[in-house]
Parts: sequence; structure tokens; C-alpha cells
Amino acid sequence: MSSTERAGVSRWLWLGPLLATMLFPFAWMLVVSLAPVSGGSLARALRGPWDLGHYRALFETAAINRYLVNSAVVALAVVALNVATAALAGWVLGRRRVPGERWWTLGIVATLMLPKQVLMIPLYLVLARLRLLDSYAALILPFAADAFSIFLVRQFVAALPPELEEAARVDGASDWLTFRRVVLPLLRPALAVVAIQSFLTNWNSFLFPLVFIDSDRLRTLPVGLALLSQTEHSVDWGFLMAGSTVASLPVLAVFVASQRHILSGLLAGAEK
Amino acid sequence: MIGRRAAGRAALLLAAVFAATASCARAGHEIVFWQFWPAEVVTPILERFEREHPGTRVRMEQLTWQSGLEKITAALASGNVPDLCELGSTWMPRMLDSGQLADWSAGVADLRPELRGWELCTIGDAVYGIPWVMGTRALFYNKTLFARAGLDSTRPPETWEELRAAAAAVHRLGGGVSGYGVQSGERYVLFKKFMPFAWGNGGRILADDLRSAVFDSPENRAALEFYVGLRSVGVMERQDVLDRAFKEGKIGLQVSGAWLFKSIPRDAPGLRYGVALVPRPERERGTHASFAGGEVLVSFAGSKQRQAALELARFLVRPENALALAASAKSVQPAGVGIDTAAYYREHPDEALMVRQFETAVPTPNHPAWVDMEAAIEDEIEQALFDRKTAAEAVAAAQQRLAELVGKR
Amino acid sequence: MAHREPPPPGTTNATAWLFLSPWIATFALFGLYPFAFSLWASFTDYSPVRAGGSRFVGLENYGRALVDPAFWSALGNTAVFVVGTIPFTTALALGLAVAVQPAFRGRTLFRVGFFMPSVVSVVVLSLIFKGLYATDGAINGLLAALGLPQPAWLNDPRTALPAIMVMDVWAASGYYMIILLAGLEAIPRELYDAARIEGASAWACFTRITLPLLRPTLLFVLVVNTVRSLQIFAEVFVMTRGGPLRSTNTVVYYLYEQAFYRFDLGYASAVAYLLFVVTLGLAFVQMRTLRTTPEAAR
Repeated sequence: MSSTERAGVSRWLWLGPLLATMLFPFAWMLVVSLAPVSGGSLARALRGPWDLGHYRALFETAAINRYLVNSAVVALAVVALNVATAALAGWVLGRRRVPGERWWTLGIVATLMLPKQVLMIPLYLVLARLRLLDSYAALILPFAADAFSIFLVRQFVAALPPELEEAARVDGASDWLTFRRVVLPLLRPALAVVAIQSFLTNWNSFLFPLVFIDSDRLRTLPVGLALLSQTEHSVDWGFLMAGSTVASLPVLAVFVASQRHILSGLLAGAEK
Repeated sequence: MIGRRAAGRAALLLAAVFAATASCARAGHEIVFWQFWPAEVVTPILERFEREHPGTRVRMEQLTWQSGLEKITAALASGNVPDLCELGSTWMPRMLDSGQLADWSAGVADLRPELRGWELCTIGDAVYGIPWVMGTRALFYNKTLFARAGLDSTRPPETWEELRAAAAAVHRLGGGVSGYGVQSGERYVLFKKFMPFAWGNGGRILADDLRSAVFDSPENRAALEFYVGLRSVGVMERQDVLDRAFKEGKIGLQVSGAWLFKSIPRDAPGLRYGVALVPRPERERGTHASFAGGEVLVSFAGSKQRQAALELARFLVRPENALALAASAKSVQPAGVGIDTAAYYREHPDEALMVRQFETAVPTPNHPAWVDMEAAIEDEIEQALFDRKTAAEAVAAAQQRLAELVGKR
Repeated sequence: MAHREPPPPGTTNATAWLFLSPWIATFALFGLYPFAFSLWASFTDYSPVRAGGSRFVGLENYGRALVDPAFWSALGNTAVFVVGTIPFTTALALGLAVAVQPAFRGRTLFRVGFFMPSVVSVVVLSLIFKGLYATDGAINGLLAALGLPQPAWLNDPRTALPAIMVMDVWAASGYYMIILLAGLEAIPRELYDAARIEGASAWACFTRITLPLLRPTLLFVLVVNTVRSLQIFAEVFVMTRGGPLRSTNTVVYYLYEQAFYRFDLGYASAVAYLLFVVTLGLAFVQMRTLRTTPEAAR
């Protein structure tokens, strides 16, 4: 107990300053969002009185709620699909259940290697042909299976001891049962990370939601914020920072909520 | 059996009626309009249009400046184009070359004398759009700093020498204050901040027939030497940082754009500033040249409602409608000739000065390889700004690259 | 349930393909065409805005890229960026993960805090840093207070790329920390207990137990970070536009200009595939060297 406490104090000493630097831009964001007139200048923002004017303006913009809902719907759908496909594919690859598995994995990772600026136009053509443009489907379906997530789970599975699965198999369980009863619980930390990173990437995604969606009623938050706060040559800093602060909250919530799933991994060995 | 056949025929009749009414609804016109301005500014104008044209609806979709061009490009690639679209003048040379813009030469012939900026959307004798609003650059100066430096804040500099002297005087104040805000290497911006001096000195980029480059001239060399020389009485930064510093009262003078008219009251309400035409080389020589850019309304060859789009475009460029947009956005001014006599501009002399600046503003050549040419010029100016080349070397190097590009398409 | 003999591990069967099928289906519908199209475009003069067809130009686009000094400088800058950030990001992420893994007071605060830079969109983060890196910005203000020299950061060709690199390491460490943390948490406690009983030091525990068992996760972090860093774009676009003097021009920024300012998507696709080959090669080498072996130093 006291050794933990001692460890804690020493950690605070050298992690604390590092944490401060990591948090500094947020402090900047928060301060600028609270300053009625700052023009993006921290000095000016720190000086004056603070009020919630920008946040009020943000929520009085009726569209913001719609953008929030759209972003949430799309992000949650993508997370659910990513977690499912990554768990399935990652396990199969990690346990070498397909011939030439290493090449499969390299191939899947290779789909990350072409930049989206180039992929965007042909993907637009595909969505146009499938008549999926200007719909939630355009922002969900192409991203249902994510190479990053699959690769993550595959690596995680590769590090898991196979004994538990073998034990289940000896007991006569089918693949599906083994997967559901034995593997999935072990994969919780990895799937929690998949959920976080999937949500994060999708929540902040800008290019595809801008290009694939035309109607304002389906607009997502990052695009909506840019429309409301950025013109060709100037930025409405207060509004943008208030919007960005609000936009970070759901991601933080997902992160905090998923922490206990990451922590539960250490029970893996104990469960026999 | 009979019941089924009757039902089938009824269904067919119903379908026919449905199709007929559906196409009737379409025949009432829905114009898809893509543009970049805030909805609250543009929607009232569009509603007025709908009242004047009953049965016609306008579906406006707002694009962001960030990545908006990618969206337009994707739409063109797939043929899924809007009926009416706003394009920035920088994109026009390539668009004009693409063959995708609808030819409006006949439809806008009567508007020619009423608007300026036609060179932005004209190739040869054919016109492919209508100029909507124009944007240019002028000299902004800080009156408080002028007063502190012992300068007359009602008399902004009119010549290069006066500009340098004023910048030097402000620069001497010290304490974090700089005289002139020199725009340093920023793609697609540096050009607009330097060329006014070159143009004002009589310098040109391409010959009028667009077949040869005439950039290497004493006029351009002198302008570049002058611009580079301003570093010693100023600070070199990116545009938005310069704007921010100007609003904080740390910069005496800079060439910037009308967007400051909107952002200064918002971000620095107490700032006392003035606007002036870009200084010319000497009192009796050269012009107060500046950069001429703007937004053009176009329709595409693949658009479904080209005629209706033209009507909407003609409506939008009417003086009162363009003025409604300009008065709200402030970063642009209507393209209408003589618009500075409107009551709004009599009440806002600073913005009226922007309109006057257009009269001596120079558009960029409509050469298909223009983007590469602009990049070449900017690269070489940067080389001079960072002391990698002298002004003469930089201008010569730019000339060489322009000469190579002029032959290409 | 009928008692069926389960297939021995490692064998392929219907289940394996079934589990892989969601990815295959998604890729077949939405991934295959973009990749194939881009490959086709790289051999043509395809332009998205030009009416009319595209001309087949063979290897001309690839040839043009390989003789363009701007492409090589972009590739060089990208290489500097990758080599200069990956080791630091990985080391920092690993250090942070190890530091915040054990239970101690305020652990969640640190975990959330270190993760926070990843939470904000990269564009907004870049806008913030653009202000922080201004010659009269907060960073220089801090340096001035400490009596240190204040460089021009984004306005100086020598410091612009390092400035972006520092920002990237700062922003990405927390993100990869989370992944390494998950990997750390999966290592069974008993291994450490057993080692402790045998009198192993903390460092020995780290090098003999932690690192080997973390290898698959480390490989993941390395490969994914490399792939992403090779494609760095948004920070450059917002903060420097490839300047000053093209010192921050990266491959993806270069191809973006080709695709959307010159509307030459054929050439941009060729550049993209050149980058693809480099990335694939690097990933292959990394996966080879850090081969993932499930058993470890047990």
C-alpha cells in the first residue's frame, strides 16, 4: 500500500510536467472559447472577463444539435461494425486459420497505404453508382471494415496463449462457441481500443463527410463547425474553440467508459 | 382473374398518374445551387428569387472553403454536378480549359457593360460565367501607431518611398511593434501581396497573347527589390498571423483584404485603422495596382437546369442582391460597375475604397498552366525573401520557368 | 448438440472464411474499385474536370515524378519526418504506457490527459499550433522568459519541419500509449510474480518479460505509425502549405496540389502508387524483422 503511494508521488513528479504540456493546448482552447473577444490571441483571452457567450451562440444555432446527432449516429454505427468485423477477422488471422495468412494480413494493411486524397474521387464514383450519396450509408458502409482495427486485433490474438481455446476445443466446442465464450472476453482490451480509435477517427472525419453529403440535415459536426466558423480568410476563434471543446467531450466519454474494459485484461490469466 | 387484371390496370394507371405528377413537379424547376457564403446571408436572397419565379425552388448547399474544391471536383468527375455553382477566380483558368462550363455568351451579352471582372470567366470571345463579387487587396494602416510615430494618420502613404518611410518610423517605436507586415512564403497568398507592387510599376507576367513570358523586366526587378527591402522595417509572417498581429496593434502597415472589415470589429473593436490604395512607385508614375480576384457563377455542361441556373445567376448579380451579400460578408464587393455610389458605400468609405481599388486591379492571365506559373513565381520570390537569390536572379529564374510553362497546356 | 470433432487449430474451414467475409465484402464493394481506378489513372492523363476521355500515357507519369526535383524533395522531407518521429513517438508511448499502467493515485487523470491531444481534430490542433508557433506566440514567449533564443519556427526553412515533427510526436504519443497499454494489461501477472520470486530486477522484468510479450503490439504501433506518418498532410496543409521554400512539402501534400490545383489526377495517382510501394516495402521489412511469435520467454 505505502509502496504504491510512494510510487504514485514519484510518478507525479516527473509525469506531472509532461501532462501539463500535453494539456496546454486544451487550456488554450478553453480559455479562447470563454473569452468574448480574443481573435485567437491567448494574451488577449487571458486578460479580459470570461463568459459563456460563445457556447450560448453555439447552442442557439439550431443546426448544431442536428450535426451532433448525425455525427453520433454515424460514429456509433461505424464503431459497432468495426468492432464486430475486427474481432472476427482479427481472430481468424491471428490464429492462422487461412492459408497464406501473413500475405492476407499484409494485404489488409496495404489498404491503408494509399492516401485518401487519391481514393476519394473513385470512391465517390462508386457511391454515386450505388446511389448511396447523400445518405448515412455513404459514411458508414465504406468504413464498416477497418484495416487498422483488424490488424490490431490480429496482433493481440497472436500474443494470447492458445491454451484456453484448445481446452474449449477438447471439450467439443465449435468454432463459433469457442469464439463467443472464450475468445471474445479475452479480446475485450483490444476491442475497447478498436472502439476508441474507431470512434475518434470517425467523429473527427472531415473530407468524406464533406464530399459525400450534400444536405444540411445529414451534415456531421466537423463540417458544420467549419461552415459556421471559417471563411476563406478568417476564423471565428471563439465559436470554433467552443465548438471544438464540445466536440471533444463525446470522445473523452467513450475513452473513459472503455477504460474498464482495457483494465479487465489482467484477469485473463486468472480465469481457468 | 378479372379482378387481378383490373387491379393490374388500376395499378398501371396509378403509376402513370404518379409519374406524370412527379415530372410536373420537376418541371416546376428545382435549381441545385452550390456556394460558399453563410446560409443566413444567402437564403433571404434566394427566397426573393423564388417569390419572383413561382414554381421554382432553389436547393442551396453551402460548401466549406476547406476542401470545398475537392467536392466540386468529385462532382465533376461523376457528372453529379449542381445546376449553378460558385467558383473562385483562382480555379477558373483550369476550369475554362476543361470544357465543362456552360457557354453563356449569348445569355449574358446584355450584362457586359454593367459588371466588371469578365476577364475572370472569358476565353477569347466566349463567356462561361458571370462575375458575382470581386475581392482585392489594399493597404491597411494603424492610425494609433501612426500618431505615436509622429506621422499624419489622415495621410496614408501614396508612394513606395512614403511607404518605406512610414514603416521605418513605426518600426523605430520598438516594443514588439513592427513597421510593415511582409507576407512570407505562403502558397497562393504571397503572389497577391507582392504582385501589386510589380503591376503598379508597370511589370507584366505574360504577353497579351499568352504566348510568351515577359516577367524578366526592370520593373519587376525593382518591385522585388523594394518588397524584399521592406523586411528591414517589418516582420515576415504568414497572412493570418499578420492579420492577428495587426489587430493586436503590433503592425503599422500591411497589404491585406476586405475580410478585415468584418474581423476587426469582432476581434479588436477598439482598433483605429485606415485603408488606402496600394502605393504606386512615384507620385507621377505607375498605378495603384492590386490583385483582382473574385467569385464567379457558372453552370456546367452536365447540369440539368442550365437555363434556370442562368436566370438565378442573373438575379444574384443584380446590384441590390450582390450588395446584400457584400454588405454582410464584407470580404468581397459586388462586381457591379459604379456600385460605390450606392448608399451603403457612401456610409462605409473604407469598403468603398476597396471598390475603387478594383479600377486599377489586375487580373491574372487565363493560361491553362496558370497554377504552375503562380507557383513558380512564388517559389522564386521566396528564394529572394530568404536571401537565397538576389532580386535579379529570382526574377530571371522565374522568367525561365514561365517560358517553359507557356508552351505547355 | 451433436458431438462433432472440432477441427484442430490452424486448419482452414468454412468458419475461417465466414469470419473473414465481412472485410472481403466491404473491400470488394468499396475498396477494390478505388485501388484499381487509381492504378489505371496512374497510367493515363485522367483529369476529373476534363470532359471527354483520358489518354493512355504508359509510364510517363511515373517517369515525370522520378525526374521532378519537387517530388524528391517531398520524399526526402517525408523520410526525415518518419525517421525523426517514429522512434520518439514509440519510445514516449511505451514509457508513458509503462508509467500509467500500475495502480496509483490519479492514474486515470494521467491516462485521459495524455490521450487528450488525439481527441481534437488534427485541423483544429494545427490551427492552435500555428498560433503557438508564431514568432510572437506562446512558445517563443516561454523561451524568452527562460532566456533562450526564439527561432522563427514556421517561417524558417530550417525549423519549420522540426516544429511540425515535435507537434506530431506530442500529439501521437498518447494515442499509441493507449494501444500499448492494452497490450501491457494483457500480460499475465503471474509471470512477473514468478520472476520477482526468482529475484529478477525491474529492468530484467522489462526486457525479458514485457518487451517480448509486447512485441506483436509494438509491431502494430510501428507499422501503423509508419504508414500514417508517410501520409502526413493535414498539419502541413493548415500550418505551412509546404513552405517555406518547400521545406515542409511532403509526398501527400505534393500529390494533393497535383490532384486539386492542377486537376491532374493521373499524375497524382502515380505519385500515390510510388508512395504505396515505399510504404509496402517498409511494412514488409518491419513485419519480417519483428516477426510475431505467439510464444515468448515463458
